[in-house]
Amino acid sequence: MNNEIWVFVQLNGQNVEPTSLQLITKARDIAGDRPVVALVAETESMNVEATVKEYGPDKMVILKDDQFHNASDGEIADALDQVVTDLKPNSLLFPATVLGRSVAPRLQAKLKTGLTADCLDIYFDGDDLVQVKPTYGDDIMCEIICPDVRPQMATIRPNTFKAVKAATDTETVNYSFTFHPEANIEVVSETPVINSAANISDAKTVIALGRGANNEKVIAKAEKLAGKLGGMVGVSRPLTDNEGFSHENQIGQSGNTIAPDLLINFGISGAVQYAVGIENAKQIVSINTDAKAPIFDKSDYAFVGDADEFMSALLDQVR
Amino acid sequence: MKIVVCIKQVPNTDTVKIDPKTNNLVRSNVEGIINSFDRNAIEAALELRQQAGGTITLLSMGPDSYITSLRDGLAMGADSAILLSSRKFGGADTLATAYVLSEAIKKIGDVDLILFGRQSVDADTGQVGPIVAEDLQLPQVTFAESLELQDNNQLTGHRLLDNVVQEVKVKLPAVITVRSEMNSPRYETPLNIQKSFEKEITIWSENELAVDPTQIGQAGSPTVVKRIFSPEKAGRQTQMLPNNAKDAVAQLLADLNN
Repeated sequence: MNNEIWVFVQLNGQNVEPTSLQLITKARDIAGDRPVVALVAETESMNVEATVKEYGPDKMVILKDDQFHNASDGEIADALDQVVTDLKPNSLLFPATVLGRSVAPRLQAKLKTGLTADCLDIYFDGDDLVQVKPTYGDDIMCEIICPDVRPQMATIRPNTFKAVKAATDTETVNYSFTFHPEANIEVVSETPVINSAANISDAKTVIALGRGANNEKVIAKAEKLAGKLGGMVGVSRPLTDNEGFSHENQIGQSGNTIAPDLLINFGISGAVQYAVGIENAKQIVSINTDAKAPIFDKSDYAFVGDADEFMSALLDQVR
Repeated sequence: MKIVVCIKQVPNTDTVKIDPKTNNLVRSNVEGIINSFDRNAIEAALELRQQAGGTITLLSMGPDSYITSLRDGLAMGADSAILLSSRKFGGADTLATAYVLSEAIKKIGDVDLILFGRQSVDADTGQVGPIVAEDLQLPQVTFAESLELQDNNQLTGHRLLDNVVQEVKVKLPAVITVRSEMNSPRYETPLNIQKSFEKEITIWSENELAVDPTQIGQAGSPTVVKRIFSPEKAGRQTQMLPNNAKDAVAQLLADLNN
């Protein structure tokens, strides 16, 4: 057993999934004298080390095998199990992405340890990694620890922390392991989804529509405005039933957490489940006909009035 | 095809509160319902049974009150239900829960397909499906948005990852967790509700299963809840914009550009 904090670096195609870098920064922030280690599993031809290094891990543990291309969850978990069982980190963090949330519990089951899902914060209390996670909607938080078993595992919600570059002397370890193919499953293909909500988390400007802006005219204007501002349209849960929108456009709990520079909410009342998804927005402007809508308490600018009128005025005045 | 659908009963409310004195969750008087994603898993099972024939068994772990949601699942059209209920199972985290479910699935025997909803809407972990897959050494397709039967022992599924859609072929037996995008769960008809009361709900405790007592309930749970609290949200200074939309936008844009 050592005192290292490990971060699983997820790859999206040739790139590093941004949450992994956010977790390296967060791990450094809470580490004290604990070394921060980035765990990379990539194909032979890939080389994400240069990118990962910029965020200042003390060490990178690299697993290379061409079979990581289109690997199954079980195959990735098996590879990680080999290195984790051997090198015994104190803590192991995953992005709470679909992949992270699929691989981490399989690894947890192999290691017979605890895993806390979708954390919004982590900190050390002595040797205990305190994992702060929402429950019953984000209105209630739990602090969870794993006192007796190591590693302490958590998946962390994307865009909860900011990735910050840092200069460190990073040691690189190429770890040798055996890739064990899983017989009964085959990842046939991966098709990129373009313009999907996966990207709404990264959008700099978001035009968000809720029940009070649920009509074709307003939706069409919102798309136009998003185009003009170089932003994206997101929705609260009720509008995910509309044609053209889905879960992937949804902002809030069970949807996406967003962190744009500017968020404009049209006709959104501001239920807790929504509000938690927008906390990290820099500037929030909200338009609602109900002066008492809870969204206004969460906003920097409030306009009590008609969504369509405000949208038209914006379209006129934004150059 | 022998299908098991694992379901969880959750409170029918988003507004579970904390008792300010005890700091515990107040769950009494809250009606229990099937976790919504689990209804999608049941619907997927019903559609597969229609194509391939077979049986659907609902499986849940929890107190006797969970019979409510099992009965609802039977009313959707499942054939039978098993409730894993015992004081010894109480206080289980995802690892200990999945262990008991896995042992129950072994006891049911010859199961071809195990379905879950993608995650519960209360604890929101989505971990139990993958842990069961690992415990039973089965392949998994998590967060599936489509599922097609290729022949009687192979499925093709699509999984929506963060920015790619993955097509996965899996041989049965396998574990699948289902997204709500996959289907629209059917409503219970009065006839099916009536029929559901004729279907048996079997209750198993640790005595019916070959479980290791150190791996169940609180004893088998590595995680401990240290504290539960309501977060204080940092408020924003809200500036009211003028009532006239044109003036409001003009002021907003001037402010934002500064």
